[in-house]
Amino acid sequence: MQNGLLESIKRGETVLEARGITKRFPGVLANDRIDFEIKAGEIHAILGENGAGKTTLMNILFGLYQPDEGEVIIGGKEVKFRSPLDAIDLGIGMVHQNRKLVSAHTVIENIVLGHPRAGKILDLKRTGHEINELCDRYGFKIDLRAKVWQLSEGEKQVVEILKALYRGAKVLILDEPTSALAPPETKKLLASIEAMARDELAIVPFITHKLPIVLAISDRVTVLRRGRVTARLETARVTEKSLAKEMVGREVIFRLERTSVEKGEPILQVENLSAVSDKGFLALKGISFSVREGEIFGIAGVSGNGQHELAEILAGLRKAEGGKVTLGGRDITYCTSLERWQMGIGYIPSERTEVGSIGDFSLVENVTMNFYFDDAYSQRGIVDYRNIRKLTQEIVSEYSVMAPSPDTKAKNLSGGNLQKLILARVLSRRPRLLIANLPTQGLDVGATEFVRNKLMEAKKQKAGIILISEDLDEVLSLSDWVAPIYEGEFMGIIAGEETKRDRVGAMMAGSRSSLFPPQVGEDEGGKET
Amino acid sequence: MRIGSHELKIEKRLMLVGWQAAVISILAIMFALALFSIIFVLAGINPLLAYQEIFSYAFANPYGLPLTINRFIFLLLCTYAFIIPFRAGLWNIGMTGQLYAGTLGAFAILFAFGGKNSHTAELSPEILIPLMLIAAALGGGVLGAIPGFLKGKFNINEIVVTMMLNFIVFWLVAFMIKEGGLFMNPGGRGESFELPPSVYAPLITGVPFTIFLGLGLAVLLYFLFAKTKIGYQIRAYGHNPAAARYAGISTFKIPLLVFVIGGAVAGLAGYHYFAAVPGVYKIARNYGFFGDLAFYGIICGLISLGNPLLSIPVALLFGGLSIGGRFVQGKLHIGFGVDYALLGVLMITLVAFQFFYRYRLVLRPLKGSDE
Repeated sequence: MQNGLLESIKRGETVLEARGITKRFPGVLANDRIDFEIKAGEIHAILGENGAGKTTLMNILFGLYQPDEGEVIIGGKEVKFRSPLDAIDLGIGMVHQNRKLVSAHTVIENIVLGHPRAGKILDLKRTGHEINELCDRYGFKIDLRAKVWQLSEGEKQVVEILKALYRGAKVLILDEPTSALAPPETKKLLASIEAMARDELAIVPFITHKLPIVLAISDRVTVLRRGRVTARLETARVTEKSLAKEMVGREVIFRLERTSVEKGEPILQVENLSAVSDKGFLALKGISFSVREGEIFGIAGVSGNGQHELAEILAGLRKAEGGKVTLGGRDITYCTSLERWQMGIGYIPSERTEVGSIGDFSLVENVTMNFYFDDAYSQRGIVDYRNIRKLTQEIVSEYSVMAPSPDTKAKNLSGGNLQKLILARVLSRRPRLLIANLPTQGLDVGATEFVRNKLMEAKKQKAGIILISEDLDEVLSLSDWVAPIYEGEFMGIIAGEETKRDRVGAMMAGSRSSLFPPQVGEDEGGKET
Repeated sequence: MRIGSHELKIEKRLMLVGWQAAVISILAIMFALALFSIIFVLAGINPLLAYQEIFSYAFANPYGLPLTINRFIFLLLCTYAFIIPFRAGLWNIGMTGQLYAGTLGAFAILFAFGGKNSHTAELSPEILIPLMLIAAALGGGVLGAIPGFLKGKFNINEIVVTMMLNFIVFWLVAFMIKEGGLFMNPGGRGESFELPPSVYAPLITGVPFTIFLGLGLAVLLYFLFAKTKIGYQIRAYGHNPAAARYAGISTFKIPLLVFVIGGAVAGLAGYHYFAAVPGVYKIARNYGFFGDLAFYGIICGLISLGNPLLSIPVALLFGGLSIGGRFVQGKLHIGFGVDYALLGVLMITLVAFQFFYRYRLVLRPLKGSDE
């Protein structure tokens, strides 16, 4: 194809333009006459909820789909991509959200993989120099000889960016660039993005939620809703609120009122619990706390600090190494997950598609996951699918799950709708204890608001709730107690009203609270101070 | 691709209805027969004549039809032995070993009741036949329990285990029936002792009663997967073991259970061929042939997409073609194994045509614009 269209592009000139892009899928108009353009040196964010058509547009710009109508123009010339290879050759680089790297290979091998120069003779030394130059220029820090599986999510993303840059990308498409990053990593990435933009690169971040990121780095933002462009704005002139409104189509409340409910009896008592992670190290180091009816116990922390193991132990999916868990006075440390469901524990896993649902099953069959063992829904070994179908229909309408029918396969639902289904399924068991692991992760603004409201409702109905989240604001605004977790230990347990954002943030990063010494938490479950 | 003023495109299917799958399968069969007729032509044989001979012998001939039906029952049971673990996402490649184990179980009962020593022994069929069936199911089930247990407890690959067990049991059978073996035929000949006629399986118009086992299981299994709690648990585990575990389903019991049931059904297939099919009534010298035939259970299971009812026509077709193919080979003096060659072509075509389960061809008018 026409290589080199972008070789001599200068700052301020239009690099990539999409005109009237329309893409239909059977039954869906995914992109409806979308116009979009980006100049060299610009950061132009594309914002939209799940299902707004972002992914389709991204795949068209990257050559994975061909548009039904409309054209893609690069450096002033109309182009037709037959495959992503054409797009790459023309200088378009894509950084996927689900990293597409070979985990057993080293960083440098991954960067070189697929490069036209590779496959002949690999001069890793020269390549290494060139990549290191790129790193220096944009402030990336990475060990080129490390194997990819050893890297954190943030580092893997750096590898993907370097790979695209090394292929000579002039336009960089970033799919949810900050979704898997801890705050410090996010900060570094944003600085690098700005450095790249100063170097005449055109950068297109696709973002679902995280509106502050859009505000922080972009020059312009195009908002999509239901496959159409609803707004094209200069970022300097918008606020988080106005963006959310364009995106969702109505006003969105960002802060929830923490309703106080009369505290009931203690339900869950965790004493000195420890656990080993999948990789074999001690992930939980003797945690103690208790949860009462009608309260939300928030666990704030960056992923990988033991909260996931804690959730799995409470749900019966992982063995405790030591310690004791009691539910309503009964020792449940060694109960199976089925017994726990039957006792009234409900678990919302963070892995929606891998654990929380079965993609090839219909919605009815997915709802069955939490009811097949229930006498009301199965008698003498026969599952009462008619009754479960009725329940599914109720759930779908009450939680406004967008699905054509109860027989739709779960894999065809968007992330937000799937999460609503899982939440509804678990909540309709009326659990005494609910464990919600990253319940709003990856959800758009509307669905996040919905999920939070439902958690509040469950709290009013006297459920004890353990909320595990990486989103500090979420934990602070919802929880009655906040326990920042760091390397398998609580850094303190603080009453919700008394939390200060900065201090909890510092505790998440490992500093202990001096005002709320941890030994109080360990002796008394941390509540009776 | 362009055809005149239209273009031919491949599109993804959103869903597949039952009748569409049936049409695709029938087209695949016709395509396979057309393809294979090239081979007939190359061999100097009129393909139409050959097919006429194959089908009329297999399905309309007083000698051929019973052979077809017996083979159909055997294939159907082997198909279920594959399908049951398959619905739990597990691959049973061990029907061969399991059916041998079942056969050994059935013959052990005969042996215990003195069936070996006297061919004219008047044994009571009301007691012995049920016992033989139970022993056959038990033999296959116990052998199936090995891969099931190893999978559930230690997550050991079930394909490797079942396949290796096939070899072990193959030689175990040889050990039992060849020189000096417990089940050796008194006259030697490298085969087992023969069933006393008193315990021949009852025939209904020439067809052994095992056909009711096969057809009954079809309905039973269909019901199991569609309606029951255990069927739901098996399917959930099959689609996503992690999600099944989350839902409280035991990731130990399910693999064990499906392999025990699957193995037991394979054991019944062993009983059927070696103790119920008229004219056999012993573990024949060429028992390895039936072991190989059992692998077609995998093919039938895959083609019928794990659906026990759909397995019936598929197994019938495969049974018929293998009988008819062998017949036409002798009748028309063809110098190669028509039965396996034909089944092979059919199998490849059917699997290849499953492409159309996911995609479809659409012909639509070209738009004005040009590329």
